[in-house]
Amino acid sequence: MTSMLSQSWVVIVMNLRSLPRRIWMSLAMVLASAVVVAILLAFLAMARGFEATLEGAGSDDIAFMLRQGSAAELNSSIVKEQVDLLETAPGVMSDGDGPLVSPELYVIVDGIKKTTQTEANIPLRGIHPQGIKLRNSFQLVQGRMFTEGTDELIVGEGILREFDGFELGEEVRFGKYSWKVVGVFSTGGNVFESELWADARVIQSLYNRGSSYQSVRMKLSSPEQLAQVQAFVESEPRLNQDTQSEAEYFSQQGQSLSYMALFGRIISSIMALGALAGALNTMYTSVSDRATEIATLRAIGFSHMSAFIGTMVEAMTLATIGGIVGSIAAFLLFDGINASTLGGSFTQVVFKFELTPDLFKQGAYLALIIGFFSGVFPAWRAARVPVMTAFQNAR
Amino acid sequence: MKDLYLIYKNLTRKKLRLFLTSFAIFIAFLIFGAVTALQGALNSGVEMSADNRLVVVHKVNFTQSLPYSYVNKVKSIDGVDKVTHSNWFGGYFQEPANQVVTFAVDPDTYFDVFEELVLPPEQMASWQQNRASILVGERLARANDWAVGDRIPLSSNIFTNKDGTITWDFEIAGIFNGETEQVDTGYAVFHYKYFMETQTWGGDYVGWMILTTSDPSINEQVGKAIDASFANSQAETDTSTEKAFNKAFIEQVGNIGLIIFGVVFMAFFTILVVVGNTMILAIRERTSEIAMLKTLGFTSARIFRMVLAESCLLSFIGGLLGLGAAYLLLQGVSQQLARFLPNLVLDSSIVLQGLFYMLVLGLITGIVPAVRALRLNIITAFAKG
Repeated sequence: MTSMLSQSWVVIVMNLRSLPRRIWMSLAMVLASAVVVAILLAFLAMARGFEATLEGAGSDDIAFMLRQGSAAELNSSIVKEQVDLLETAPGVMSDGDGPLVSPELYVIVDGIKKTTQTEANIPLRGIHPQGIKLRNSFQLVQGRMFTEGTDELIVGEGILREFDGFELGEEVRFGKYSWKVVGVFSTGGNVFESELWADARVIQSLYNRGSSYQSVRMKLSSPEQLAQVQAFVESEPRLNQDTQSEAEYFSQQGQSLSYMALFGRIISSIMALGALAGALNTMYTSVSDRATEIATLRAIGFSHMSAFIGTMVEAMTLATIGGIVGSIAAFLLFDGINASTLGGSFTQVVFKFELTPDLFKQGAYLALIIGFFSGVFPAWRAARVPVMTAFQNAR
Repeated sequence: MKDLYLIYKNLTRKKLRLFLTSFAIFIAFLIFGAVTALQGALNSGVEMSADNRLVVVHKVNFTQSLPYSYVNKVKSIDGVDKVTHSNWFGGYFQEPANQVVTFAVDPDTYFDVFEELVLPPEQMASWQQNRASILVGERLARANDWAVGDRIPLSSNIFTNKDGTITWDFEIAGIFNGETEQVDTGYAVFHYKYFMETQTWGGDYVGWMILTTSDPSINEQVGKAIDASFANSQAETDTSTEKAFNKAFIEQVGNIGLIIFGVVFMAFFTILVVVGNTMILAIRERTSEIAMLKTLGFTSARIFRMVLAESCLLSFIGGLLGLGAAYLLLQGVSQQLARFLPNLVLDSSIVLQGLFYMLVLGLITGIVPAVRALRLNIITAFAKG
């Protein structure tokens, strides 16, 4: 047993030290493994970042209502009378300023994207002070809150990052009306940061919305209250809302990019097959390159096993180096980069690519799989080389 | 002829390596074909837009609507040929997830402006006469298995029908097709007036207007004239060419598209580098054989050609198989994806690009060993071997 270990060790060291002799082939294998890992990580980081931005936005103890069948805030409409009725639903919390119910408006306006200098959809949310209390992580990072009844607005940090002209103190013009930016807010990186917020009543009057709203959020004393609110809405003929928890709503919206993760996995698995073919070439070359050595070792009494292990370790080492290189490259190139895309509400969602440790783990598995399969067949051949033929071929 | 036999023998001397190398090239071109077609499908709206078509939307954003009276005002502006308008219905079939792109349009002018859409005259007439009927695009009809004469209930995720439901019943009066395969026919259109009269909000507004100018060269001038005539009104307008409008819309999907395609193309080229490296080394191994051929009287130029032909052949074997597989793959999935990506086709420009890359790969991987072979000094080669 110990002799096999020491034999294998000798072969491993010998193989690795002879790598420079096959430098180009070895580099090719490292590169192949690196690229596949980097691609997988890029797609996963994008999907992860997008999901985190949306899923971080919803709470379990907030009931969220849209007109039946609407699926997104943009399409929905809810009239004032319905809002008044909803305020009487069971389980709704109140504070000193009245029930914690927030009817909101959602208007789409144009902003100029920094990256492309083209117009893109931004949501302008009409909100009341009660609504801001429903965003736990809300924090003003610059300036102040808008004053009710005025044409002042506050902008999310995401908008500031991705769009031109929303700096504190700027006047922004949407069609006929201009607004003054008086504050910048953060909500801990979630999707609300991709929005502009202004007084709901001002938006109703400027955009001819009468007294109607588009969505209603309400704070419940506990997540279990949701079922009661749903029953209440069902039984009241004047209401036609779909009720779900805010967390549920956003996790559905977050899934719209989940096809990205799927696409990434498919692409990188297909690419992995291509890379595997390249890696196999490398390892077969390595085995035939060392045919004389292997034969010599076998002739002086080294076991089949040591030849097998030696080649295996060489393959795994190269693939692992590739995996590390790929992960570092993905981290440097993609982690934290800002991106924005159309979300479920037809507006821009600003998010960051996120390379979390569990994603690196997936990358590492992929590299090891490539290493294993590119090593095992050539290693088998190395172990099987008949001593005589190897000497003959080496000539 | 002898050369061809030699090339064939050289290629197949290590069958496993031949297989692995062509397989890697195959994969690279499979991905290249599929992803380029995908990218083309995403951008097809831009390429299919007509030169002389302009789109007029509300200046705040295209989701805001315009007063109906604007249609006639725009018609009277110099250089405007035909005008039509459209409203977004927010349609879905049975389940909200099953979206059906539906517009409420003016039945008399819509097909004059979108000339690339064709349908039998009797279907057109029957649609124009029956206010509660709908015209369905060929691709949409195929995706849902709808035929002329079917009654389909379409629900709206925005509007409410006056009967208290959110669903409208339509009879399919006709199915329209595109002049070419690239024309988008994944949507349905019905009568604007019927829509306005049957929905609870009613009113006189249009979502946006589409118009043709008498000549593409005056596009900019006409656009400015339209915007100027509505300046300082309740609803200011923003006029752009159809191409610019579609492009801006695609850019909303944003840099993620750019990042994805960038990443995939990087990968494509890296695989080629990896494979190229193997191919170069494979020929390098044969230095002494090439010296032998020279000794036997093969001219340097002949060997140069043979080496180059071998690498090109290898590149084309893998590449063509890869593109072929991409074609089959796209044929297979385009049915399923018709609803989202109507124009998923591997067209001739992609094939030409692919052929170009195959040739480049073959030449680059062949040129290094070929030049070496050309310069090879027989004596030193044998001395080393």
